[in-house]
Amino acid sequence: MSNEGRTPDLTRDRGLQTVRESTYKYALAGCAVLSVLTTVGIIGVLFVDAAEFFASPAVTFGEFFTSTRFSPNLEPVSFGIFPLLLGTLLVTFGAALVALPIGLLTAIYLSEYASQRTRSVLKPMLEVLAGVPTVVYGYFALVYITPALNVVIGGVNGALGTQFPTLGLFNGLSASIVVGIMIIPMVSSISEDAMSSVPDSLRQAGYGLGATKFNVSLRIVVPAAISGIASSFILAISRAIGETMAVVLAAGSRPPDIPPTQSAFGLLPYVAPGDLLALYSDSAATMTVAMINIAVSDLSGGSLAYQSLFAIGLTLFVITLAMNVISDAIANRYREEYE
Amino acid sequence: MATRSESGFGEVSRLRGIVFKYLTFGASLVGILALGVLLAYVFWDALGLESAGTAWYLTYTVTLLAPLLGFLAYARDKPEVTAGAIELVGFTLAGGTLSFAAIIVLIVIAGPGVWVTYFLTVVAPVIGLFLYGQYEREATWVGLAMLGTLVVGPIVGTLGLGAISTVAALLGAPGVYFLSLVVPGAGLAAFLAADRFDASRRVALGVAVGLLVLAIVGVPVVDTVPIVARSVWFAVLVMLGLPVGFAVTNTARQPARRAAFALPAIAIGGFLVGEFVVGAIGATQPSPWLDWQFLTSPTSSLPADAGLYPAVIGSVFLIILVSIFTFVFGVGTAVYLEEYAPSSGLLGTVTRLINVNISNLAGVPSVVYGLLGLGIFVNINIQFGPVVYAGIGAGTVLTAAMTLSLLILPIVVISAQEAVRSVPDSLRQASYGMGATRWQTIRNVVLPRSLPGILTGTILALGRAIGETAPLIMIGAVATKYNPPSGLFDTLTAMPLQIYTWAFLPSEEFRYGVVAAGVVTLLIVLLSMNSVAILVRNKYQQETY
Repeated sequence: MSNEGRTPDLTRDRGLQTVRESTYKYALAGCAVLSVLTTVGIIGVLFVDAAEFFASPAVTFGEFFTSTRFSPNLEPVSFGIFPLLLGTLLVTFGAALVALPIGLLTAIYLSEYASQRTRSVLKPMLEVLAGVPTVVYGYFALVYITPALNVVIGGVNGALGTQFPTLGLFNGLSASIVVGIMIIPMVSSISEDAMSSVPDSLRQAGYGLGATKFNVSLRIVVPAAISGIASSFILAISRAIGETMAVVLAAGSRPPDIPPTQSAFGLLPYVAPGDLLALYSDSAATMTVAMINIAVSDLSGGSLAYQSLFAIGLTLFVITLAMNVISDAIANRYREEYE
Repeated sequence: MATRSESGFGEVSRLRGIVFKYLTFGASLVGILALGVLLAYVFWDALGLESAGTAWYLTYTVTLLAPLLGFLAYARDKPEVTAGAIELVGFTLAGGTLSFAAIIVLIVIAGPGVWVTYFLTVVAPVIGLFLYGQYEREATWVGLAMLGTLVVGPIVGTLGLGAISTVAALLGAPGVYFLSLVVPGAGLAAFLAADRFDASRRVALGVAVGLLVLAIVGVPVVDTVPIVARSVWFAVLVMLGLPVGFAVTNTARQPARRAAFALPAIAIGGFLVGEFVVGAIGATQPSPWLDWQFLTSPTSSLPADAGLYPAVIGSVFLIILVSIFTFVFGVGTAVYLEEYAPSSGLLGTVTRLINVNISNLAGVPSVVYGLLGLGIFVNINIQFGPVVYAGIGAGTVLTAAMTLSLLILPIVVISAQEAVRSVPDSLRQASYGMGATRWQTIRNVVLPRSLPGILTGTILALGRAIGETAPLIMIGAVATKYNPPSGLFDTLTAMPLQIYTWAFLPSEEFRYGVVAAGVVTLLIVLLSMNSVAILVRNKYQQETY
């Protein structure tokens, strides 16, 4: 368009343009408000129904956290969340045992040892681990991993004469393993980011002092990136706590039995390690599993079981939120260090 | 000992370093290998490979596997050939996904009457306005008019639904899809030919007419195949034919890439030769659980009759709604936070709080989002004056779609924010310097530059949504349903939900057959979605250097 001869009409469409600018601005602001509304919605929904739950004469706040029996549907009903917390703890601890060392070593390899080409292959493949739907992981645990583990346990017992219990159809061990596999990428990618942002001058200083690559990786890079690593650990554990479908399918719907306590010197109660290990061979329902079970059996509003759903949900929400906030705070501190 | 540890020298152990290096390398492979083995098992079970004879394996190794490996070895250090092959495969997968989605939404769920109504009142005007806006760049009102059409169009459509579908019934279903899919498709083909491949006006017109003629000539051929309706043929021709045609033309135009055609040739040729040889020598074929019967029948208590049809339709319907909701709200939120929201002062603190809030929302367990959906869409009864809001139904398509949208919205917002942030500020300043307003800058500079990143992030988040089960259970989605959802307010079942229900059945045939087939179907849908994301990302990486 050659319009050299024309005077540009600077006042063209001014009114409509103002209308357009503010329309779009407020439409976009409306979108941003949705995220705030979501938060308000979550907190509101959880608090309202949980409050009704605790207001009911059948439950007390103390009993909810200390009672050792959870049976929302069978009479006499009891809503002790303690066995569910134990189940969550078992699965989360097992998953952390799988994911944290593997994830950390993976991050060290990716950040310190891997060539550009290896990294470009490994990183997307690791992301796939987190991309597989969790219900598929649950199916794997139930159908392939538990039978395979039983074969291994039988072999070990036969060869060494040990007395490891065989796993039930639903068990905490297979759930821990699959949840662990699925949170590996969370540990490895965040830790690797933290290690990659350690300034190269620190590494060079280490080499200058005659340190080997092994020393530099473990004594310089890992300590320098420790806050990022810690934040990745917390985030991964929080993800394991909230994990649902894999645990529903793998760990079954019965909460773990509270192991018998023994007392040392007549004072300190403790649980024998053998009893704790035995818990992994049996069904270990978590908080999330209990929620799914209640949802499957009874979703009519107003019943006590229905309201307990929200009380458990609130507990879960508070735990995961606290862990996310802590992880964020740690990560922020580290970001300031090297900027 | 004491002197050694004091000086620190002499402690260097080569072995320790090597062992540690391989330990870390091994650790990075553990998870991948474990998943690989599990995937191999599930594919093995779903495809029934156990029952295949040795002759079958030998035949396909020679005719299909060996040539494919040969091609991979050949293409290894030829980036142009690799790029061409990725483009061919990716566009085919993307086209397959598109036509699948189009068939399900336009033909199975909406049907010709509903589709043509909203096509006339919403889709056609918006496309028309968009094209006019491209042509007449100075028309300020076009964007506002499009926004208005999106609001008014559905209302007009709902009012005129009866009248328009009566008229459409006279035209017949194939006629409707011919006019609404093939004719615009021909226009798009002509535009692509002229714009991307510099074809002359006559050639472009020839491409368009050729597509129309092909569609009509194909009808008698399609009629001989009973399972393919005429409407399906039109949808596939446009949604699969155009992307494949584009990729083929693009590859054929670059001599360095032409060797990529060997890949589809090997795959199709190897398969046909293999089929022929296996038939000729009478080798035992595998008996897959994942077959046409599985994909087209509803669930059943008998393993042999069980299928995933209602769940597949439900999942695809769900994912299309979720993608619309999250794309609109996710991009809107990201653009507002990055481009408009104040970053200093009291309001700046509010912006920061919203950002922190979004990142925390991304960490909330999915089962809690299920509770949110249950609390605000299902079990609710609020009265605003005369209006009573009593939720939108337990387990309906709309409830499920909105719950899943809220679930993945934070992930979409975060990735879209990153994409918007990565647009260099100098481009914005240049745009402002030429007198552009803020919205013009966003529309003409920021969004086009960040769109590939936004799309990649959105598609990956949708992959998460399609595998989510817990929220669906919490909002009361039914596990056993024998027909696909017929509309927004009908109940649905989805693929992961069906897998969950089946997995508890004790029968071996279910556990190692039907469920495996369901898992493989879900994974294949995920894979094709992710390949689209990778395609978009690759294109983006090519364009940014």
